[in-house]
Amino acid sequence: MNSSSTVKKNRLALAMLLVVVAAVAILLSLPAFRFNSCVYTKKSPNTFVGDETYQAVSAEVEQVAEELRAGGIEVTVNETVTERTNSKGETTSLVTFTINEEFTKNGWSFLGAGLTSSWVLLGILACLLLSVVCAFLGTLPCMDTSYRFLDSRARMLRSASCLLALAAFLLVPVFFMTNTYTLSRRVALYSGGIVTEGKEALYARLDSFLFGGAAGENIDAALKDLSFSNLYTLWAILPCMLVAILAGIQLRFGTIKHALLRGLLYGFVIVLCLFILYPYYVMLITAFRSNAETTDMYFQHIFPTEWKFENLKHIINQGVPRYLLNSALIAGGATAIALICGIPAAYAMARMKFKGKKMFLGFVIMSQMFSPVVLLIGISQLMGTLGLNDSILGLMLINAAFNQAFAIWLLRGTFVAISPEMEQAARIDGCSVFGSLWHILLPMAAPGIVTTLIFVFINSWNEYTISTVLISTAANRPITVGITQFSSFNMIEWQYLFAASLLATIPVVILFMFIEKHLTAGLTSGGVKG
Amino acid sequence: MNERLGKRVGPYLWLLPSIALMAIFVVFPIAIVFKLSFSEVSKSGVVGGFVGFMNFTDAVSLPAFRTVMLNTLVWVIAVVGFSTIIGFIIAMVLNQKFRGRKIARAILVFPWATSLVIQASVWNYIIKYEYGNLNNILLNLGIIKQAINWRATYQIEFMWECGVGIFVTIPFVTFCVLSGLQSIDGSLYEAADIDGASFWDKLFNVTIPLVKPSLTVSTVLNIIYVFNSFPIIYTMTKGAPANKTDTLITYLYMLSFYDRKKGPATALSVIGFLILCICAGAYMLSVMRKEDEQ
Repeated sequence: MNSSSTVKKNRLALAMLLVVVAAVAILLSLPAFRFNSCVYTKKSPNTFVGDETYQAVSAEVEQVAEELRAGGIEVTVNETVTERTNSKGETTSLVTFTINEEFTKNGWSFLGAGLTSSWVLLGILACLLLSVVCAFLGTLPCMDTSYRFLDSRARMLRSASCLLALAAFLLVPVFFMTNTYTLSRRVALYSGGIVTEGKEALYARLDSFLFGGAAGENIDAALKDLSFSNLYTLWAILPCMLVAILAGIQLRFGTIKHALLRGLLYGFVIVLCLFILYPYYVMLITAFRSNAETTDMYFQHIFPTEWKFENLKHIINQGVPRYLLNSALIAGGATAIALICGIPAAYAMARMKFKGKKMFLGFVIMSQMFSPVVLLIGISQLMGTLGLNDSILGLMLINAAFNQAFAIWLLRGTFVAISPEMEQAARIDGCSVFGSLWHILLPMAAPGIVTTLIFVFINSWNEYTISTVLISTAANRPITVGITQFSSFNMIEWQYLFAASLLATIPVVILFMFIEKHLTAGLTSGGVKG
Repeated sequence: MNERLGKRVGPYLWLLPSIALMAIFVVFPIAIVFKLSFSEVSKSGVVGGFVGFMNFTDAVSLPAFRTVMLNTLVWVIAVVGFSTIIGFIIAMVLNQKFRGRKIARAILVFPWATSLVIQASVWNYIIKYEYGNLNNILLNLGIIKQAINWRATYQIEFMWECGVGIFVTIPFVTFCVLSGLQSIDGSLYEAADIDGASFWDKLFNVTIPLVKPSLTVSTVLNIIYVFNSFPIIYTMTKGAPANKTDTLITYLYMLSFYDRKKGPATALSVIGFLILCICAGAYMLSVMRKEDEQ
């Protein structure tokens, strides 16, 4: 790349940044939110539209409105009529006159309001300005240097510029979120009397921001009927910030195409991860909320107002440790049985030649297909006959049997992948078949065995359907069935349900993360290869 | 002589524990279900004499039978189809080299490792109308002004159930495809690049044919898992209203353990079993053929 084209490109990028700053400044001075607030209310009982009282009150209200208009406030007069029949059977009517003030606020006015969103907006502007400053400082001294040969200072400044622009971009939705939260939900909480802490301070700030301090004593009523709508001018900041980011990228990497693809990639991955983690976030925070908070939308903040660790104590008293122990026993027992039966079978399949090997393999693959659920009735009948209904041993055996196919499948793949030469050498040295299996093959196959072990364990731990059918005594429940005791038909104690779920989820998720890599290799190729 | 006998019988002895376990707990229940489906079964579970196909005709003439079969079909196709497509795309992305790939893969494991009852309970809470977390977040963001009823009709509820099904099935597909993608020789792409192949050329002529075996495995296994999936629907709607959101498996459970109609329930079991057999058979043939090729 020759230097003159570099200069050109750099100039273009810097110009873009200036344009963005100008555009943001303009957007901030356009009206951003339209507010509608009731400044005066007059209720007139026993009044019918058009009669004398109505005329009198109407004139009075008009006069108030005129006074307000004279004071430079734009107001509209509205009236609502409520008719009802009283206990004597007479029709009465109530006319309510309200004077509403309509006004708009632009982005700049938010800056001085002292609300949470003001600070966020300030942050956005600070990030943007700093980003521009960094870009200029990092570019002006070396306009004609290609991005490849930049010194570390310029490099750092330009990187900082990109990141600051990105931060500004990400803060825009935060601004809307905090703004809506303060102006509608927080006010609703205060005016409903649900929360009182910090009310005075916020109301004073809102008074000076919205009404210029005019509401004074009447601020409660004024805020109660406050409605506002977003005019979407501030959302237009988002694309501006995007342009700023692109300009920063152009400065830092010389081209935006590559970085844009990278950005898309990271964006996709981050959104995906957030989406996957979302239910876990809900589970985590709900587990530590109070009962009232879980079922009241107005109470819910992003995090619990008070972390209730007593919830854990409560579920521990409700038998959850017992369920966890049962689950561990069932899953551990099932894993042990599945491996004890599965390892010899997998060994025979991998190392020996015999008639019917193919048939057995077919049988293994077929039985992998049968989830116990479709056979529920048969299984419950069988367990009844064997006297294993409602027993942990019964669940161990069922889980072991239905995971047997997978165990053989995975283990056989592992064994086949290990060359038999070592065992043969050991056999020549006088080692028995068992000896060579135990001392040579199993240690070598350890990763595959651990994978199988954990996989069977997790499958049995998470099993739900068979357990609900077979287990009737509370003391024998595994955790998956145990958590349902917190959700009866008409009342669900979400905080306990999720606290118990959390305890049931954490161990298996951690185990699964360990084997994830080996497992997929085993599932798709290990068993098929031969 | 003894040694030769040992050589002959030996392998079967190794297989014996495994065969015994599966025979008792897998084959036996199958036999029981088949036997019950042709017998008269009282409400309390007492087995009577042979009644031919009566249980089957009873099952087919149940008022909810058609709805349930249709739901099952929609459920399997929607969940397997969407999760395969989305999982494939995610696998393509995660196959790129980027910082934090390991973390992303570890996070992707979460839905796979979590019990379905728990997943379903959490989503149940998220989409609650009065206090659900989704409404809460959207209200806070100012995107909506009024709480939305996310489960206004049973069709929408069923769609949510499918959505949760897709959510929990994606990781399995992704990891299967990923393992296929990672085994592709990079030189194939280099050769394609030299020939001037576009992204789409490479996708359809290199990637997909080479990932196909993994994709087949994951699709077939998923058809079976999803067909058998019980906790999501049972936790979220229990098939309500009036079996409108039931699939074969949940309906079978309700029929047998709530309505005490064991006869038709076993007949449905057999129908479900046969459907699975067809899938399993097709799968087995494809695996066996591959074994022969190698």
